This record gives sequence, structure tokens and C-alpha cells, in this order.
Amino acid sequence: MTRTVLVALPLVVFAIAGLLAPVLAPVDPTAVDLAASLLPPSADHPLGTDQLGRDQLSRILYGAQISLAVTAAVLTISLTVGVITGTIAGYLGGRADRVISRVVDMAVSLPGMLVALAVIGVRGPGVVNLIIAMSLWAWAPYARIARARVAGLRGSPHLDALRLLGASPARVIGRHLLPPALAPCLVYASTDVGSIVLGVATLSFLGLGIPPPYAEWGQMLIEGRPYLASAWWLAYPPGIAITAVVFASNLLGERLAGDDERPSILRWVRPTARRRLADHVPTAAEGDVVLSVQDLSVGYPQRVVAEVSYEVRRGQVLAIVGESGSGKTTSVLAPFGLLDPSAVATGSATLGSGELMGLTPHERRLVNGRRVGVVFQDSLAVLNPLRTIGAHVDEAVRNAGRGGRRAATRRVTEELLRLVGLPDPAALARQFPHQLSGGMRQRVQIAIALAGEPELLVADEPTSALDVTVQAQLLDLLGRLRDELSMSMIVVSHDLAVVSRLADSVAVMYAGRIVESGPLTTVINDPGHPYTRGLLDAVPLPGAVPGTRFRTMPGRPGAGPDDSSGCAFAPRCPIAVTACTNDRPVLKVLTSAATHRSACSRGGA
Amino acid sequence: MRAPGRPRFAGRRVTRWAVDTVGVLLALTAGTFALVLLARGDPAAILAATRAGRSATPEQVEAVRAELGLDAPALVRYARWLADAVTGDFGLSLRTNTPIGPEIADRMGVTLGLVGGSAVVALAVGLAVGIAGAVLGPGLPRGALRGGALLVTSLPVFWLSYLLVLVLALRLGLVPTSGMAGPATWVMPMAVLGLPAAGALSRVVAVTLREALDRPYVLAAQARGSGWISIVFRDGLPNAAGPILSLSGITVGSLLVGTVVVEQIFGWPGLGDYFVQAAAARDVPALQASALILGGGFILANRLADVLQVLIDPRSRRDGGVPTPWLRKGTA
Ligand code: SF4
Repeated sequence: MTRTVLVALPLVVFAIAGLLAPVLAPVDPTAVDLAASLLPPSADHPLGTDQLGRDQLSRILYGAQISLAVTAAVLTISLTVGVITGTIAGYLGGRADRVISRVVDMAVSLPGMLVALAVIGVRGPGVVNLIIAMSLWAWAPYARIARARVAGLRGSPHLDALRLLGASPARVIGRHLLPPALAPCLVYASTDVGSIVLGVATLSFLGLGIPPPYAEWGQMLIEGRPYLASAWWLAYPPGIAITAVVFASNLLGERLAGDDERPSILRWVRPTARRRLADHVPTAAEGDVVLSVQDLSVGYPQRVVAEVSYEVRRGQVLAIVGESGSGKTTSVLAPFGLLDPSAVATGSATLGSGELMGLTPHERRLVNGRRVGVVFQDSLAVLNPLRTIGAHVDEAVRNAGRGGRRAATRRVTEELLRLVGLPDPAALARQFPHQLSGGMRQRVQIAIALAGEPELLVADEPTSALDVTVQAQLLDLLGRLRDELSMSMIVVSHDLAVVSRLADSVAVMYAGRIVESGPLTTVINDPGHPYTRGLLDAVPLPGAVPGTRFRTMPGRPGAGPDDSSGCAFAPRCPIAVTACTNDRPVLKVLTSAATHRSACSRGGA
Repeated sequence: MRAPGRPRFAGRRVTRWAVDTVGVLLALTAGTFALVLLARGDPAAILAATRAGRSATPEQVEAVRAELGLDAPALVRYARWLADAVTGDFGLSLRTNTPIGPEIADRMGVTLGLVGGSAVVALAVGLAVGIAGAVLGPGLPRGALRGGALLVTSLPVFWLSYLLVLVLALRLGLVPTSGMAGPATWVMPMAVLGLPAAGALSRVVAVTLREALDRPYVLAAQARGSGWISIVFRDGLPNAAGPILSLSGITVGSLLVGTVVVEQIFGWPGLGDYFVQAAAARDVPALQASALILGGGFILANRLADVLQVLIDPRSRRDGGVPTPWLRKGTA
């Protein structure tokens, strides 16, 4: 807010200078004193004198006065004509509205400068003609804004009620439609000041605006032109005055339009802390871990993922399961920098032996697409609609350093498409994303992910929004890839049934934290956490032990990890006790298996 | 597989566009003709005086009036004027008593050259700055580019000319102050006309490109290891092409109008200069002719961009997304 006021400051100065010119000006701006012509700035003449010995400062101030007067007149006329026209059009609707809107559209599409010049050209210069010409240029946007506002109000029940009560159209328009229509127009007017001042100055500069002896800024510049080389003080002040008003007005318009300046997704996540590994005890069998994530937290800056740790072993599939909003996608994309630029990620993630957090964009390119492939959920949105399937895969092949000449690259592409089970790869490569079915696009994504022959495939909800047969085929494909290429995978899903066909181990997420993790069979047969039990209950699995039955889980899903100081699941937990809301349970190893952990203070109850 | 091409849907929109455009141009001619009705002073008297070199006698004035057909009703005169205008006959200048058509044809080249040159400046600078604005993170460089773009958009063209004349011509002596002879004289008019337009263009490029870069396909491109240059040029810009193209049309239109001031300052004998001279002398027929040509050019530049946008925007196609051949080149 204060910044908006600051931005508008030159406009305020302009208004004050214009209003108080007779008081502020040291001398009469028209007082000619040939003996004192072309004097540089001095104590007597802070901005020097012009070729006729007139005081520049006084002329600038009076210039503000005439500019302000013309601008105010033009705005008053344009606002009145525009708002009334627009309001009537919006109120009447139907054919009258269409005709008026058409005229307004045409008026908006005309070049204002030419209209003003043409009108002055036939009517001759002068202040009155200038105001008429500028109003002809300026009125139309107000009509358009007012019409849009009123058309939006027309259908409101409030207005119907007024009409039923017998309010006359004039009253409805005057009392109930004009004021709301005026508001957005006034906002626009504050940003229109600049273009009107600029228009007046330009016309005056062309000798077709405000005639001498008025001291208008554009007029001053044209008069000072022959003395440019010798008397610099004639060139700068009027120009600076115009620029300041126009710049402030433009800046104000941009601020009012709320043009937010968030950076594009292209910016990579910059973690604040490189690693916090000190207090962490490394687990056994390091050699065979492909990806190890420790204490990962992601915030915007409010945390959505808190202290998440997981591991993926060679040739194994880790499933991450949870409701939407539980932070599962964020947890798997964060190590590869695939988050919103405003996200702050902390913790550690090692791929092989290399730390992933805090990589530069260049270093990322050596990981993404080469050592890790990603399959996203929405296959239509993640493919560029303007590029062919082949172009996408070609790019992935080139990024992975497997490309060559165009034809050689395309051969690799076709091989990849065949590998994921797509028929007629050559023809398919020439098609566009929208021409494929959802299942085919998902296969294309897998082909792209495989282009770099990665160690790890990350699949975010790879089968949701597909029908059951296609789901099964895709899961078979992923299973085949794991077996044949001995690839490690992370599969994210909201559906435990889907991943149970594929996964070796599973991590269950709730409200941004992992609440249970362990080998798939252990978790399914002997779930430690009430939430997991609820999930298992919602999807009957062969061989699963039914837990306490709650068909639909009550309570609000999707809370953040820091929303409560106790167990986030407590509001929905069927076995919650008072203690649960006080202390947050930590992941504890359960007695049944060393790798099976659960975060429930009531143990394996 | 469906053959890529322009299906009927786009075709219908193009037809509607053409009808609309003719309508707007007709409205422009009506507005332009109406200038003569607004005019102060009797055109017949002015032309008669020009011919006689002094105040004309009433008989001379009446003779000119009959010659110009000014007795007929306004609608008839409009029809006659429009029919003549279409063939390039705009009548006689009240100021010089010479035919306007050939004069305009002579000057057209100067103006088109100026507009073309400054359009290149505007597009090159605008795109470069806009891309930087979309890709850079918050910080000094982006703030400076953004502020600079807004500042240069706010500079009055005539004052920017002064500044350049002061520095480049008078202080450094790199280029002549005015005139139109040789490449050096082109530098300042093109910069003065092109840079403010570049500022406006860069803002739109930055905003639309950033929007196009916020789509999931960019995340996917990052996931497959594409660098930012590839992402900007293969994914971002093609998907932002619609609004950018549309604004480019508006830019070219505004450059055309800008010649009115710039030709004045640098003494280029183009259409803009002619327009101002006509306006200053209240030479109505010449004013009408140049307003028609400049205004028509402005409208066409604006609307041409709209129709191009229809043709490249996948949403305007019934089958939802086959790009035009020129877009596919280099990406396929
Ligand atoms: S800690 Fe308490 S509330 Fe949370 S899951 Fe366990 S029993 Fe339920």
C-alpha cells in the first residue's frame, strides 16, 4: 500500500503544482526579458531562462497548470460520456447493447492520436478543440468498462427486486448501476492520466495542441529546439516533467492491475540448507541403495512435507501411498528439483553417492533424464500440445546423450516406443499428443523416461484416470521393465490396490509425514498404523487382515504437517486417546520386522 | 491419422474476420469523410484562394464548388469520394492545388521503410528483454530490465529524440541530426520509434511467456533434462505465440501512428509528415487521404495479428491442436 502511494507521488506533485502554480511560480511565466535570454540555471532562475528571457521554472509550473486543466476536462467528459453510454448499454441489453458495444469496439480500435490530429486538423488548434479531440480519443474504454460492470449486475436478484418494487429505470440506473460502474472507471482513469498528458504534450509539440503564449511542456520543447546544443536546460526539465507523470501513471496502472511478478517454473529450487545428516544414523546395506532421502522437508514456506525419509534399493519398487494433499508427490519430486520455484526444500537426498539437494541447473541436467526418469500423472498437460510425440522423445534421447543425426535419433525413439508396447512407432512419432488415448500417452511418457536408460524411474500416479484394463496393462509394463531392466522405481499412488501388484516396499503418508513404512507383505498383513488399516479396509486386498472397520474416514483430509502439535490423524482416528493430541508420535520400529515402522503412540494396538 | 491442416472451423472464423474487417474499414471511411462536414471554413473558398494566390471572388469560389461537386447531398458526396478513394484518387490538395494520390504514393515508401526498420528494432529488443524478464528470478537484473522497459515506454517520443540528438548527434557527432540520406540517418528515427514499442512488447512477452512456462509440460521437460534455452524456445515461446503475435500487430500499428511525430522531428518526407502538414494547414482532402491510409494501416496491422492468432491457436481448431506448418518446422 505504501509503495502504491509512493508510486503515485509524481501524480500528486503534478496535481499540486498545477493547482498552486500562481502561488508557487516565482515570476510571471510570460514576462519577456530579452536582456536575460538563455541564462543557465542560477539563484534567480533555478531552471534558467528561455530564448525570450522567460523564467523556466515558472513556465514549468504553469505548464503543469494547463496540462492539469486539459487532463481534468478530458477525463470529466470521457468519464461522463463513457460511463453513461456503457451503463445504458449494459442496462438495456439485447440489440441496443450490441449496437452500442459495436460502436465502442470500433472507437477503441481506432488510433487515438490520429483521431485527435484529424479533428484538430479540420477544426483548428486551440484549447477547446484540443479537449474535444482528446475526449473523442479517450471516452471509449470507459464505456467498455462500465458496460462490462453493469452487464454483470443486470441479472442480480437485487435488481429484479427493485424493478418489482416499481423503481423507475432512471432511478435504477442512477442510484444502483452508475455508482458501481463508476468505481472501476475511476481506477482506470488514474492510469489514463499519463496517456492524456502525453497526448496533449505530443499535439502541442506538433504545433496543434495548446497554442502559445501558454507554457505547455510540449510547446516549451518545440520552442527550445533551436537552442538545444547551447542551452541544455531548455531540453531537460519539460521532458522530465512529462516522463515523470507518464511513468508514475503507467506504474500505478501496472500495480493496480496486480501484475504479480512470481518467477516462472524454470527457476530451480534453491534449498536453504545443504544437508542435515549429522544426527542421522545410516542404515545398513548402503551398497545396494539407489536413492536415499533423509529428513526431507518442503515448505512454501508453510511446510507441506516434514522430515520424510525413504530409500529405494536396486531392482526394487517403493510405493508411496496417501490421499491427495498428503505430500507424496512433493516428496518424490523434490530431490530432483521438480517443484514450484517458491518451494524451499531442506534435508538430504543421495543418488548413488552423490548429493542431489542444492545442485545447479547444469548439474541437474546430468541427473534428470539420464539417471532418473519421471512419469507424471496428467499425460496431456505434460506433453507440449504444439510438438509431436516424436519431437518429445527425440529431445529426451538427445538430452541423454544418445542422439546423433536426426535419423539416428529417430531410430532410438522408435525403438523406445516399441519397447513400451506402442504399435507402429514411425507413424505414432508424427502424431500430436491430443491424437493419442490416455493409455498411449502414458506409455509415451514411460518411453521418454526410459530414454536415458535410468537407474531410477519415478512414476507419479501413473495409472489414475485410466480405465481398469489399461491400468492393468500399464502395471504389467512397469513390472516387466523392472524385471527385464532391473530398474528401481518409486510409484506414487492414492490407491494401495494399484501398487500392491508392483511394490516391494511401501511408505504410507498422511498430512505431509510418513506414518508407516515397511515391506509390502508385512504392511498389508500386519498394518501398524490405524490410517493404514483404514486404507486397507477401503480397498479389500487378497490376504489382508481386516482392521477396525471405518468405511468412510471421517474428518478433514489434507491438513499440513505442522497444523497440530500431536498426531495429525487424531481427529479421524477410531482409537485415539487424549494423549494423541498432545505429543506427536515418531516412527518406531515394530517388533514383527526390523524394517517395519509406524508412527502411532498406541504402538501396534 | 488425420492429416494436419486447417480445418473448416478456422476457415469459418477467418471468413467472419474478413467481413468484420471490411466493416471496420468502411466505418473508418465514413468517419474520415465526416471530417469534411466538421471542417471550419469553406473548402471551395480555400482552394479558390490557393489557385488565385489571394482572396477569390465569389464567382471563382462557386466555380470551384461546382468543380468539386460540393453542392450534392452529403451521402452522394460520400459515395463519390469513396469510389474515387478506392482507385487512389483523393482529389486536390487545398494547400498546393496538386493531386493527393501520387503525393501519398511517393511518401508511402519512406513511411513503410521507417515502420519496417523500427518494427525490427521493437521485435528484437522486445523479445530479448521479455524472455529475460520471464526467465530471470527476482533481483536487480530483472528489476532493472522491467523498470527500464516501463521507463522507455513512458518517454515521450519527441523528448527521446531530443536526448538522442543531444548525445549521438551533437555531443558525439556519430550521426546527422536529421534528414534522410544514408544508413546513419536511419539510426535515430528507428531507435526513437522502436524502443518505446519494444518496452511495451517486452512486458507482454514476459507475462505471457512466464504463463506458458508455468505449465506442466515445462516440468516434464526439466524432468527429461532439457535446458532452459530449449524449454524457452521449444515449449515456452510457441505456446505464448498467440498473445505475442497479437501484440506485435498492435505494435506495428502504433509504429505507423508514431511516424506522425518522428518524421516531423527528423524531417523525413513520409506520410506522417504529410498528415501533420495537412492538419496544420486545414487541408481537408489531404487530411482525409492520409488519415484513411494511416488509420487503415493501423486497423489492418491490428486485425491481421488477430487472424494469424486464430490460425496458430490450437484451441481455434475443431480437432483441438494441429499447429500450422511453420510452427511444426524445426520442432518435428
Ligand atoms: S497416535 Fe493416536 S491418533 Fe494418532 S494414529 Fe495412533 S492412536 Fe490414532
